[in-house]
Amino acid sequence: MQFLGRKICVPAGSLREFRSAMMRPARFNGGRMRKIRRRTVLGWGLGLAAGGSLAQAGKIEPVFKPEKDATLRLLRWSGFVKSDEELWNANTKKFTEATSVPVTVEYITWEDVRPKAALAANLGTGPDIIMGWYDDPHIYPQKLVDVSDVAEGLGKQLGGWYDVARTYGYSKRMKHWIAVPVGGTVECLTYRTGWMKEAGFDQFPKDPSGLLNLAKALKAKGHPVGFALGHAVGDGNNWTHWLLWTFGGKAVEKDNKTIAIAQKPSLDAIEYAKELYAQMVPGVGSWLDPNNNRAFLAGEVSVTNNGISIYYAAKKDFPRIAEDINHAAFPVGPVGRPTELANFTQAFIFNHCRFPNAAKEYIRFMLSAEQAGPWVEAMNGYVTPALKKYQELPVWTKDPKATPFRDGIARMLHNGYAGEPGQQAAAALAEFIVLDMFADATVNGMSAKDAAARAENRLRRIYRG
Amino acid sequence: MARLPPLLDRTPVLATLLILPAAVLVGGLLAFPLTLGVLLGFKDATIGEPGSFIGLDNYRYLITDPVLRITALNTALYTLVTLVFKLALGLALALVLNQRFTGYRFWRSVLLLPYVVPTVLSAFAWWWIFDPQFSFISWALVKLGLLDHNLDFLGNPWLARGSLMVANIWRGIPFFTVGYLAGLQAIPNELHEAARIDGARDWQIFWQITWVLLLPLTTILTIFSAIFTFTDFQLVWTITRGGPANATHLFVTLAYQRAIAGGAMGEGAAIAGFTLPFLAVLAWAALDALRRQP
Amino acid sequence: MKRALTLWLPLGAFALFLLFPFYWMVLTSIKPNEELVSVTANPFWVVRPTLDHIKYLLFSTSYPRWFWNTMGVASAATALSVSVSFLAAFALARLRFRGAEGVSLGIYLAYLIPPAILFIPLAEVMLKLGWFDHLWALVPVYSTFLVPFCTWLLVGYLKSIPQELEEAAMVDGASRLRILFQIILPLSAPGLISAFIFSFTLSWNEYLYALVFMSAPGNKTVPVGLATELVRGDIYQWGPLMAGALLGSLPVAVLYFFFVEHYVAGMSGALKG
Repeated sequence: MQFLGRKICVPAGSLREFRSAMMRPARFNGGRMRKIRRRTVLGWGLGLAAGGSLAQAGKIEPVFKPEKDATLRLLRWSGFVKSDEELWNANTKKFTEATSVPVTVEYITWEDVRPKAALAANLGTGPDIIMGWYDDPHIYPQKLVDVSDVAEGLGKQLGGWYDVARTYGYSKRMKHWIAVPVGGTVECLTYRTGWMKEAGFDQFPKDPSGLLNLAKALKAKGHPVGFALGHAVGDGNNWTHWLLWTFGGKAVEKDNKTIAIAQKPSLDAIEYAKELYAQMVPGVGSWLDPNNNRAFLAGEVSVTNNGISIYYAAKKDFPRIAEDINHAAFPVGPVGRPTELANFTQAFIFNHCRFPNAAKEYIRFMLSAEQAGPWVEAMNGYVTPALKKYQELPVWTKDPKATPFRDGIARMLHNGYAGEPGQQAAAALAEFIVLDMFADATVNGMSAKDAAARAENRLRRIYRG
Repeated sequence: MARLPPLLDRTPVLATLLILPAAVLVGGLLAFPLTLGVLLGFKDATIGEPGSFIGLDNYRYLITDPVLRITALNTALYTLVTLVFKLALGLALALVLNQRFTGYRFWRSVLLLPYVVPTVLSAFAWWWIFDPQFSFISWALVKLGLLDHNLDFLGNPWLARGSLMVANIWRGIPFFTVGYLAGLQAIPNELHEAARIDGARDWQIFWQITWVLLLPLTTILTIFSAIFTFTDFQLVWTITRGGPANATHLFVTLAYQRAIAGGAMGEGAAIAGFTLPFLAVLAWAALDALRRQP
Repeated sequence: MKRALTLWLPLGAFALFLLFPFYWMVLTSIKPNEELVSVTANPFWVVRPTLDHIKYLLFSTSYPRWFWNTMGVASAATALSVSVSFLAAFALARLRFRGAEGVSLGIYLAYLIPPAILFIPLAEVMLKLGWFDHLWALVPVYSTFLVPFCTWLLVGYLKSIPQELEEAAMVDGASRLRILFQIILPLSAPGLISAFIFSFTLSWNEYLYALVFMSAPGNKTVPVGLATELVRGDIYQWGPLMAGALLGSLPVAVLYFFFVEHYVAGMSGALKG
């Protein structure tokens, strides 16, 4: 395979090879050379343990030369696991040591990033870099620094971007990259193996009707499934978008104008949701993001959609449940290809940043293999990176239960599909239009037609003119 | 204190000086942004784009929006129902706590607690209390054999509205209690005693003396509580985010969802604009009440 | 018997309703995680209590810092609002001047727009003033929602103080300001205390402005700190969250405990004149 401009062979899972390949002098950004002292570290895992000594691993020649006396402020979502922040801070420290650019990192709850980013965009002040969600940068592309060189450099170096990452990072309107994709908190169907077998299934179903049959069988055994239908920003949006898309439905056509939500595929998806809803544990109508974690760990539900956090929490506090847990990709319906949605996060630099080169260098540094590898490892699979090379990290295979999360970004579509990312798509997602369409039809017992018509009405307004 | 120059004794000068600090604070940090906000309601602004004036377009669309209609209904119900309960229960609690008994100081301060805990956090607590799986209310009812399944407090639209109201009432009772306690202390005991000597019954004394004397206070407490409740955000946003399917949105949560989360700043500001006439009426009523106060 | 009916029974009912969530919060903050997510365990009890959550809160987060931040901001905002309101209230209640109506109407009207909408235009103003991310900036910002109510409350209270006292003092040749500070101020203690309690509580609880206008981790207040650092994605650290809510409220409750007495004493003093 082609790696860093030279032909090398990286057998999947061979860490040593991967690691040392990473450490060879690399071509980056049009031939500039970057020298890193070659180290023989046994793997990413060890690299993590040796985080402190890595910091002294020699001066790194920056690709983007930071401005004199530059300082940076980064705002990002708080880590889903504590080790995330520890590694991020350690990497940031390394950056400061290498470039003498101090970086202040501010962590806030993931849902609160958006108002803060909105404020920064509106006022032209605030953090220099924000790690935000979904198509946030497409709401104010003209206020962001062109990061094409960072994105293309990283892409070349690390196996390329997944298609969806390109969609999220590249602005067709501006004709350049406005954000550097980081990755997504991929969701899988989390299920209890024992109960699935008890219900007569050896394998997790691969299509929606199989899933429905499984749900029925599980309910008969007293172990209902549960999918969030309240205003759950992550869990609720993710599974309902999958459902809409896998039946071939979409909110809007490719022209980003014609509303397509009230067509036959949506109605099929809604009818399916009604049947599935009948098999669910009572109360999903009010579920927000944490509800299914708790219900699953308490043994109240047998299948739900979630990031790897349930498994992670189970390993910590409920080892017997952890043993029984497994994960599967969402089934694939009539549309014939995976159509998932994951919370996607990317880093963008505001025009008001006085040190754009320092900011670019920081993003490049943090997402490069030496830093991002251990960081992703430390998150135990919670975030799947948007660069393909990272699927070779041991975290995805060390525990086979994490493997389904590895390819989540490859399986996903962008919110607002088949239209463009931007203000309209962001609004539709933030207002839970798709999610509420399904909730109206299931929880509120509306007919499929009425629920779709209501969604259509609101989408018309959002996508007007 | 030395005799101040007579200039300061001239009413207009003194009044201006005394009011100035409050006026600067409120004018600069509230009235000015408020004006900006109202103007925003007539624009098609989004986050990052100042937008241009589109007249009444936002309002014209909103009155046809079914979600806004539910929201208006919700807000009205939420305000009216919780107000009645908060007033009645707050007064009742004040009457109880106004008695002398062992430990009354302890109870007075402890029963104010719901008002002290940050709303974000007490909302977390209520959220759990109403959880479809973990609610201890459901647990107790099932254990007692009164129910055979958990109640879906927040998943059923009407139950969800009711549940949010309970949480709001819980939080709002102490506001009335504090106010009424002060009011009750101010009523001279002689009035009650005189009435009792005249052979009046307890409830007669309450309705004809206590209640009447408390009326002006009631007006003020009600109006302020109405404003807080009408513009409530934290409870609903934490517990349901307006769900299930927009069934529990209030004006402010809907405005926040559309303006901040969805980026439609103009439309969000217009939704907030819908609250202004109602609140203005309340404010006018309050002023009127204040003016008629002895 | 009658006392049981008019006092203990209703008191018990109120205590049950108003304090039950607190009982639950106490339980949560000492329950180990296994018991927290169990549908079979008795939710009204804890089998193996633990102090882990509280230790975590106090030693692994910046909770003490948040606590003092909140204390400082709330006290300063309260002091500012109550004094400013007292001056304005005196003018509105006692001085007959043209435009009084307009001023009071203005103060109340300005109160109406909810913070959730106001914060973007307000942020613009804050920016122009260079107030972003300064903890003290929350003091004037909080006063915007405290001053109107405090003014209102104090106007009402001042009107209940008999005018004869001032008139007598005026006859003695005292200036208006002297009357304000030497006669009215002491008499207003109960009103001031209610304004104080009201303001302190609201500042203590405020969330949105503190979340949006403060960035540096060292500038967080208790509600913001707890909600932003103990909620990780879809994992809520319930134990430390509830422990934080309780530990943050108890000092205020203790403060109230002492104020209640003052409140009553001040009131009877004012009534005696």
